[in-house]
Amino acid sequence: MDDAKRANTTFRDYLRKAADWYRHAYRLRYTIKRVLLMLMVFFIIISICFILIKLLPSKPAEQFGKDKNMVEMRRKALGYDKPLAVQYLIFIQKSLLGGDWGMSEVRYLGSNVWDVFMEKMPATVMVNVYTMLFAVPLGLLLGIYAALKKNKWQDHVISTGVMVFVSVPSYVYAFLVQYFLCYKLQLFDFQIKSGRDFLSWSMFVSMIPAIISLGFGTIAGLARYTRAELTEVLTSEYLLLARTKGLSRSQTTVRHALRNSMVPIFPMILGEFIGIIGGSIIIEQIFGVPGVGALYIESITSTPPDYNMFLLLSAFYTIIGLASGIVVDLSYGFVDPRIRMGSTK
Amino acid sequence: MRKILALLLAVCMLVSCAAFAEEQAEATYTYNLALTTFPTNWNPHVYETNTDSIILDWTSTGYYRFDYNDTMDGYKMVPDLATDYPIDVTADYIGQYGLEEGAEHQAWLIPIREDVKWEDGTPITAHDIEESVKRLLNPVAVNYRADTLYTGNVVIAGAKDYFYSGQSVTLENATNAYYTMDDLTLGEDGVYVTPDGGKVYLAINYKLSEWLGGNTLKQYVDSYGEAYFDVTNWDALVELANDEGLVELTEDTYALFVPVTTGVEAWGETEDDIPAYFAYEATYPELEYDGNVGYFALSDYEVVMVLEKPCEGFYLMYGMSCPLVKNDLYDACTTITDGVYSNSYGTSLDTIMSYGPYKLTSFQMDKVFTLEKNEYFYGYNDGADIYQTTCINYDYVPEASTRLEMFLAGQLDSYGLQKDDMEEYAASDFIYYSEGDSIFAMVVNPDLDTLTANQTTAGENINKTILTIKEFRMALAYAMNRAEFCLATSPTNGPAFCLYSSQIIADPENGIAYRATPEAKQVIVNFWGLADDIGEGKLYADVDEAIDSISGYNLAMAQEYFDKAYDIAIEEGLMDEDDVVEIIVGTPNLTSAFYNNGYEYIVNNYTEAVKGTKLEGKLTFTRDGTLGNDFAKALRNNNIDMLFGVGWTGSTFDPYNLFQVFVSPTYQYDSHYDATADMVDIELNGVVYTASAYTWYESMQGTGTKVTVKVGDEDTELVLADAGEKIIVLAALENNYLQVYDYIPLMNDASASLKGAQVKYYTEDEVFPMGRGGVRYMTYNYTDAEWDAYVADMGGTINYK
Repeated sequence: MDDAKRANTTFRDYLRKAADWYRHAYRLRYTIKRVLLMLMVFFIIISICFILIKLLPSKPAEQFGKDKNMVEMRRKALGYDKPLAVQYLIFIQKSLLGGDWGMSEVRYLGSNVWDVFMEKMPATVMVNVYTMLFAVPLGLLLGIYAALKKNKWQDHVISTGVMVFVSVPSYVYAFLVQYFLCYKLQLFDFQIKSGRDFLSWSMFVSMIPAIISLGFGTIAGLARYTRAELTEVLTSEYLLLARTKGLSRSQTTVRHALRNSMVPIFPMILGEFIGIIGGSIIIEQIFGVPGVGALYIESITSTPPDYNMFLLLSAFYTIIGLASGIVVDLSYGFVDPRIRMGSTK
Repeated sequence: MRKILALLLAVCMLVSCAAFAEEQAEATYTYNLALTTFPTNWNPHVYETNTDSIILDWTSTGYYRFDYNDTMDGYKMVPDLATDYPIDVTADYIGQYGLEEGAEHQAWLIPIREDVKWEDGTPITAHDIEESVKRLLNPVAVNYRADTLYTGNVVIAGAKDYFYSGQSVTLENATNAYYTMDDLTLGEDGVYVTPDGGKVYLAINYKLSEWLGGNTLKQYVDSYGEAYFDVTNWDALVELANDEGLVELTEDTYALFVPVTTGVEAWGETEDDIPAYFAYEATYPELEYDGNVGYFALSDYEVVMVLEKPCEGFYLMYGMSCPLVKNDLYDACTTITDGVYSNSYGTSLDTIMSYGPYKLTSFQMDKVFTLEKNEYFYGYNDGADIYQTTCINYDYVPEASTRLEMFLAGQLDSYGLQKDDMEEYAASDFIYYSEGDSIFAMVVNPDLDTLTANQTTAGENINKTILTIKEFRMALAYAMNRAEFCLATSPTNGPAFCLYSSQIIADPENGIAYRATPEAKQVIVNFWGLADDIGEGKLYADVDEAIDSISGYNLAMAQEYFDKAYDIAIEEGLMDEDDVVEIIVGTPNLTSAFYNNGYEYIVNNYTEAVKGTKLEGKLTFTRDGTLGNDFAKALRNNNIDMLFGVGWTGSTFDPYNLFQVFVSPTYQYDSHYDATADMVDIELNGVVYTASAYTWYESMQGTGTKVTVKVGDEDTELVLADAGEKIIVLAALENNYLQVYDYIPLMNDASASLKGAQVKYYTEDEVFPMGRGGVRYMTYNYTDAEWDAYVADMGGTINYK
């Protein structure tokens, strides 16, 4: 009897603990829920993409002297004569579930689209990572400095610079950077170095004009945002209280003001980092970065569209975009423990 | 001591000589170029773009190539991969490959060099070429370039049948089996099938090349309606048509169709003619290559080509294709997944093997590639002072401003000038102009029925039918200031006054340019109305002087024609006095500077031109900029009224074949011009022959093509004797087509570029098609090291102004 009671108690304890764990594992529950929703949204988006791209004109423009039957035979050989539903099922089975995204049929004819994407990705990533490493701290520092010197000449100088760089498109100062630093002063090469040694010093140096051009916008954006957030926090009552309790200005700024102002800024920085895989068409073209910037637009604008490339990129960027949404949402909880994503309390 | 000094001196001299020799040996000459698009596939069997062929140009060769003629003012064809000119062996193959007794110029033997090697030193034989041809024509691969062996002038016997092996295609009944209803049986699904089991269709909106001269029945019904057709069932049939414009032939659809073409006597057909509107599914039989395809190795160094139709001389050598690939590497690049064939040959550094003058030594996708001399290339000793270039470097630099800065900094050896650069560099000593072979035109829809329909849709007081009046179209032609149009759109281009540019060769055997012939010159003066002003005591002493005077712009005459057109329009009831002419101009997009500037110019130019005429304030333009790359189709489909900046390129050495673009509905911009109905009189050797423009076009194709023409009312067969007669026919057709004034020549493509000071062209003047000698003959003013030093001395920037 005692044994049975003990066993019963243990089981009840176990259930209680499990229920307790379940109650407290709100973050895990939330994450699982978001991931499932993400997969559903992903599936819907990619299906819409598939249908829309197939609606675009799929036959190449007529060419003088070409055998038109042969052009039709090529389409058949690639399966484009099959009903759309059959093509869709093949896509789901082979690409989405099988991971085989196929070969490029237009721009990179004969090359595996995944290989092309992966070959071009490092250049984009490295230029953007270097840009973030240079731009984020500088943007934050300028923002903090401007907030601390609010309405003084330093703030005015920074704010004016910020307005200029936020207003002017990045390709404008990209051309200016290239003209002055590369052509007039001959400090850098016009184009980034060829090769795949993206971590080498010489590669980094050749990337500097591109990094500077890409960084201006980020610096300006972050500085403006940080200044605004920090200014607001610095004038809040609880900071006044902290100061009256004897904390120094630097202590209140670093321990309280900065941390609180980071709540909206941190996800912004995270978003910038996630954006590094997107690339910038114009900057990549101006500085000869062999990256992924133009891949997406080229896959749609070619006639016929480069279906496999388009669907790979759609799937990739959709999943990254959706995942980054979850990561950003979860990050709020880490930055500010008061925010409990998914909690019912 | 003296001995020691002498020894020391000798050592010093030796060292300096060695150093000099080393310096000489190490001298490099790099040709640096920039690309605005980047090659991605240079597999000779599938490449699609000119950019892709850049790598092929250096890593492969043909049997024959162009070279300067002895007087350096023209070209000649010389053996390249071949050791000699083709040898006619037709007699050896009579009875084989479809060659019949009496056949001429249909089998050719090409002796090839024994010293041809791949870049890894592997020798190349004729058998390798044959194996490559097999791979090109592989029916499973469906290679994009396979048709180079069965289209054009050099048609390899059996190539198409082998390539089509096992393929299901739709064939026109009239030009193939010509099944009658008695030959067909009803399938289980109620659709008629051929004796081979292929489904049979009614060609409703499907082009019939023979029966309807390349038009569709729908085009005819839409154009002529009840006057020629019983249209009672027509809409029902059109509704049933699939994407290809075909309707399955069943008892019901047959019954619906019969009255359409037989119900009105004017069309002149009976039920016996109905099968001519059929198309059917057919599957090509499986075929072995050996013994059926006329492209094979006769020995290790002899290739034989057996042709389906005769070809000789220039066209034979020019049209021969050598699709050589490194077969083992090619096979390693082949994959077949779930029945889908793909091949990665020629997509990276590891998947290409050169047998040409240069080999690919580095390749980074969308960034840069480098070619260096191929030590195994056979041709380096074929002439003195050739191929001084040791390395060719291509950078992908899409931005023009970056290219210009790189050029000025000595990093590029050539820069293609842009519109904005012309003012600054037009007077440069380093500027070189190159005329292209394309004429770009403005095309209008002159068809009354479709314009009336569009006019009704456009609303009250909107007029479009004035476009049907020839005088109005002539006014449009004369009112266009072509020089200004070029300045506004593409300043390197020049005004065009006819259909063919001066780069088009009419007699390639003798290198005679079409535009240089008297017949072609006469076409220009006719079109511009100067024919009566030439001669002694007249405005122009000769034709050349008259042509030199043409600017393509005559506002006074244009205004006269605008007034005439208006009067005719009012008189014929095509237009009311309070109507406003509205012309819809189609462009592929709204972002292209060429089309934006061009449209703006057209609007301003014509608005100004009609001032002071009866059309003042009554000529307006709107734009549809959403048509995409296929924007020409919008005119064919009557969705717009005008196109500009359109034209055709290619066929530089065969303007006779190129004329197809003006007479075939497949290519025509104005699909309403019926070349089969437009009768043209042409005088040859004192006899005036009459035939349709299409028949005349056919008469110019190939060698010994027989056509039926009329002399008076009598039918007679005609074969054009030589290039001279072909030129007469071509000029007559050009003249005839220009007089329609629906295709108005606007500009001739040309480019201007700056040449870097490091390099020196072989000829200062451009010699078509050699250009200025190319890399083969290019020499250098500086070695790379000297050039770097020179640029540094100049402060890093060179002044090319």
